[in-house]
Amino acid sequence: MSAVFDDGLSLIGVRRMMEGVIPPVLCTAAPDRTPNVSYLSLCEYVDPLHIALSYQFFNRSRENVLATRRASLTLDDPYTGGGVVMQLEYQRTDTEGPVFERLRAKLMGVASHIGMDKVFHLRGADIYRVLEMRRVPGRRELPAAQPRVDLPTNSRLLSERMANCEDMADLLDTLLVGLSDLLRINHAMLWLFDSSQQVLTLLASRGYEVDGAGAEISLGEGIVGTAVREGVPIRVGHMMNMATYMRAVRDRADESGLTPALKNEIPLPGLKEPRSQLAVPLRARGRVLGALLVESQHDQYFGYDDEDALMMLCGQLAVAMNLMQPHDPEPPAPAPARAPAVEQGCPTLRLKRFLRDNSVFLDDVYLIRGVAGAILWKLVAEYLRSGRREYTNRELRLAPELRLPDVQDNLEVRLLLLQRRLCEQQAPIQLEKAGRGKMRLCVVRPVQMESSDS
Amino acid sequence: MALTDDMIRLLSAGVAHQVGGCTNAGRPVVCRGMAAQHEAGRLLVIISSESGFEVLDAIRQNGNIAVNVTLPENYRSLSFIGNDAVVRGSGAAWRPLVDERHEAFRAQLVRFGIPREFTNAWYSADDEHLVAIRFTPMAARNQTPGPGAGDPLALLPTEFEK
Repeated sequence: MSAVFDDGLSLIGVRRMMEGVIPPVLCTAAPDRTPNVSYLSLCEYVDPLHIALSYQFFNRSRENVLATRRASLTLDDPYTGGGVVMQLEYQRTDTEGPVFERLRAKLMGVASHIGMDKVFHLRGADIYRVLEMRRVPGRRELPAAQPRVDLPTNSRLLSERMANCEDMADLLDTLLVGLSDLLRINHAMLWLFDSSQQVLTLLASRGYEVDGAGAEISLGEGIVGTAVREGVPIRVGHMMNMATYMRAVRDRADESGLTPALKNEIPLPGLKEPRSQLAVPLRARGRVLGALLVESQHDQYFGYDDEDALMMLCGQLAVAMNLMQPHDPEPPAPAPARAPAVEQGCPTLRLKRFLRDNSVFLDDVYLIRGVAGAILWKLVAEYLRSGRREYTNRELRLAPELRLPDVQDNLEVRLLLLQRRLCEQQAPIQLEKAGRGKMRLCVVRPVQMESSDS
Repeated sequence: MALTDDMIRLLSAGVAHQVGGCTNAGRPVVCRGMAAQHEAGRLLVIISSESGFEVLDAIRQNGNIAVNVTLPENYRSLSFIGNDAVVRGSGAAWRPLVDERHEAFRAQLVRFGIPREFTNAWYSADDEHLVAIRFTPMAARNQTPGPGAGDPLALLPTEFEK
């Protein structure tokens, strides 16, 4: 049976109606023709003839669909107030594969904001063939919003700027400035994934009162943590509405005794009250290195086109992060440089490390942990032992005592993070570039090192 | 069966309406409604004959209907099911009720940052396209999203059933 669509209508053309701003409405009927109308969490484009609907609970809608295989779905345009109505034929339920993973990531991403990710279990992605699709007649629609910027052209300009960057710091700054200047995305954060600690660390940000470099969240936390865990982009266009919908489901789960212990609602990072968020993973060589999170104070600020553009730019960033690991022979290890005299009369700086997670504290103030913490510990220990201040990146990459696999991939980024964190803290220990592939440790106070197993 | 006081209050609290039916050939159909009101044990629902032509056809075939009302502030959602629905009466007489329900609905959505004019598209039917459907609710279902959506809710017996 061929599909019957109104002139000019296509499933790809109505993707924006599937964003959940206005939840889709599903009508099914029992074999005796008794109708049932309910809202759905998510609808996802699959291909020009198929869509997927979230299957979370066994309820009357599902009972009807399994019995009759027919459903009707309405989608509303969140920009114009227009809408479409579809006739659907149930095909199958996917419990794995890319469509299922995309739906699950979206569901988890939104739910994890508000501490509901344990409640929202996606049982499957119900795949439907779209038999008919027509516009809802008789609606006086609002004019469609004009594009914010020329996304294809300006994304290309930004890509070209990034391609001319020589080092990691320049690359990150170019991306964040370009997002603002060229794409009018004024609030952005770059998160780096540390697989050994299963955490994301904030590497750089733009558009916030506090820079926040070194801040951490857990893998799977919020939409950025979920985007990294699942390796797919997650976009929420109307956060208040989705949060209310999710709370309604949680309340029903509570009443049904299905709710495990819920954690407190997680405060949203960045903007105090974001209305739109988009998290895009940084993927290279089949792995996720981190994620870009962009936010806006406006509803529905990011569309599918933004998602497409940022996926391309983040792919370029991830590849560049890998390529910027020096592959050419690096300069030989510099001869130990004499340590400069520390300032007389300065109090001793207490550098404390906890071996459990390589977290490092300066005078009891948390600095950083993980790979970056281990690197700082090594550099300072060597400095105190021999007075040496300059090191090559290659030495660190090969250092047996670090023994952390991520160093292989992201050493340059870890060093940049450490450098920024020390700078932000105005610490008496600083790290500065000493030429290509080299760095220099600057210490202005006597240091006492202390390590703890706990 | 009749609606409880709580259900009747919900109808005027600013709910969204969805009206579903199913043709004799087994084709489920759905459209947006514009108003619902309790009338002595029966439920009155107003839809547009333009956007709801399929639903009207299905109802004329077999009288089966499901009306879903949902309050945006908490997604509390109820469905009323009937099998004796009739399509009767249309026109400007329903405009005051539609306007009243539309205003309450807009007030709900403004708190989510949705501009007032946005819902005009859903309520923009001309007077001659306003159509009334009346039915006796035979069952009510809790349709609040989540587990158990579709589970039955108790209705009150009507006077002649007591």
